[in-house]
Amino acid sequence: MKVTSERLEGCLVALTVEIEPEEMEKAQEGAYRRLIKKVDVPGFRKGKAPRALLELHVGKISFDAEALDRLVPELYDQAIEQEKVEAIGQPDLEMTQADPPIFKATVPVRPEVELGDYHSIRVTKDKVEITDENVEQGIENLRQMQAIYEPVEREADINDMVTIDAEGIVEEKTVLDSKGGQYRISENSVVPVARFAEQLQGMKAGDQKEFTLPFPEDHESEELAGKDCLFKVSMSDVKEEKLPEVDDEFAKSMGQGIETVEQLKERLRENITTAAERDSRAKLENEVIDAVAAMSKVEFPAIFTEQEIDRLGNEQMMRLGGIQVQDFLKYRGITEEDFRNELRPAAEKRVMSSLILNKVHDAENVEVSGAEIDSEIEKIVEDAGEEQAEAVKKMFETADARESISGRLLTEKTINLLIDIATTDEAAPVEEAALEQEVAEEVTQEEDQSEQSPNEEDSE
Amino acid sequence: MHIYEVLRRPVITEKNTDLMDRNKFVFETEKKATKAQIKAAVEKVFGVTVVSVNVITVPRRPRGYGRLRGHRPAWKKAIVTLKPGDKIEVFEGV
Repeated sequence: MKVTSERLEGCLVALTVEIEPEEMEKAQEGAYRRLIKKVDVPGFRKGKAPRALLELHVGKISFDAEALDRLVPELYDQAIEQEKVEAIGQPDLEMTQADPPIFKATVPVRPEVELGDYHSIRVTKDKVEITDENVEQGIENLRQMQAIYEPVEREADINDMVTIDAEGIVEEKTVLDSKGGQYRISENSVVPVARFAEQLQGMKAGDQKEFTLPFPEDHESEELAGKDCLFKVSMSDVKEEKLPEVDDEFAKSMGQGIETVEQLKERLRENITTAAERDSRAKLENEVIDAVAAMSKVEFPAIFTEQEIDRLGNEQMMRLGGIQVQDFLKYRGITEEDFRNELRPAAEKRVMSSLILNKVHDAENVEVSGAEIDSEIEKIVEDAGEEQAEAVKKMFETADARESISGRLLTEKTINLLIDIATTDEAAPVEEAALEQEVAEEVTQEEDQSEQSPNEEDSE
Repeated sequence: MHIYEVLRRPVITEKNTDLMDRNKFVFETEKKATKAQIKAAVEKVFGVTVVSVNVITVPRRPRGYGRLRGHRPAWKKAIVTLKPGDKIEVFEGV
């Protein structure tokens, strides 16, 4: 076996292996022994034909193919070992020459991650501020959810619920046809098009109206974008919105042990705060990972992306209620190829960040202890409630489940570590220098703004 | 009968392969061929020296039952013994 290896773009290694005659001979002998048991050569009992005759009978090409079938993977394994290639996937094998036999194996290898100086990354946490207005808005939303609509004999106005038959015609083609639909006239509504709601104001039950409005230029359907649409609307019903009073009774109707309006507000404030904090945390995580990615050199084989695309696709199907990919593609009217291309950027990003995080936790010696896993499992079991506790507990007894939790905790810890690093103040001056390489312009812009912005005062 | 019409084909079977160790090569021949003709034909075609020729007329064998009654034809088999060291190429590698 003579091996030459060559490093290719995209984390691939190409091995060219020339098979020595002795190796080929041995493989052919093996092939003979396997084939002789299966092949019927006329004039001979099974297994009795001599090798030369068998070769003649099955043909040189298929005989050699049988020999190579076993030999090539074997030699490939040897070659990998000899060349110290750390393969992480199945190789593409290809015969390039028959005599002497030479084959070429292209195999993906471990991704290479070269981290930038992530210690110099600085990000600022968005301040989470919940104003009374936010809470009021929340209560307003709750009220609307409980709104009651009562028929009235007057012209329709904002916040009314009307029953309409609507027809939309673009270039003689009916694009919208709805009978007896409920439509809530709200300000600034863009459904079905902007200013549609406006047109309905002033109509009474039994009125009919025709008017023309344009679809927006950036409408998702190319056929409709920017075109004028003729709407024919007839209103059969006008209902007034009656919002419930904000009192203790209203508060009680929310359940969850809430008794008074004060408690409701308290609870709302809590919920909004946690949501906002989660958002700001997620944003922070993204920023940090993006920043590390921007300053790092990552090279990974295409197979990673493809696998991630598979996973993303499956997740999406799950979210859509476990539908079949084929049905989904048909519905969207796109090919699988299109769909995969669509997912590719997201997949690449996910691969990238997971590789980076792996590298970081290696570099920082982030570890997850058995005790941490145990306590995490306990938490999950608790959340599941008493009835399910036993079943859930059992679910996490397998090594696989522990492994996956450990992986999740590790990622979490690593991200937290990165955020900790990136939000420490002491080394703040480094921030500009380091970030300047990657996001020089943004930094300067931010600086310019921050000199005048009122935020500056807040933080000091 | 022309000399090239004598030999039909080599008969390569398990049994005949073993015979080769004893320098005997087996042919199917024209049914009316004689030992002398076979000897001449083998010597001419393969350029070897023939020591002896044994022939067997393989009888026809019935095949099929009922309305489809028939038989495999009879044929003549010749076992040709060559001078030690001589070989016939058609059997080469066997």
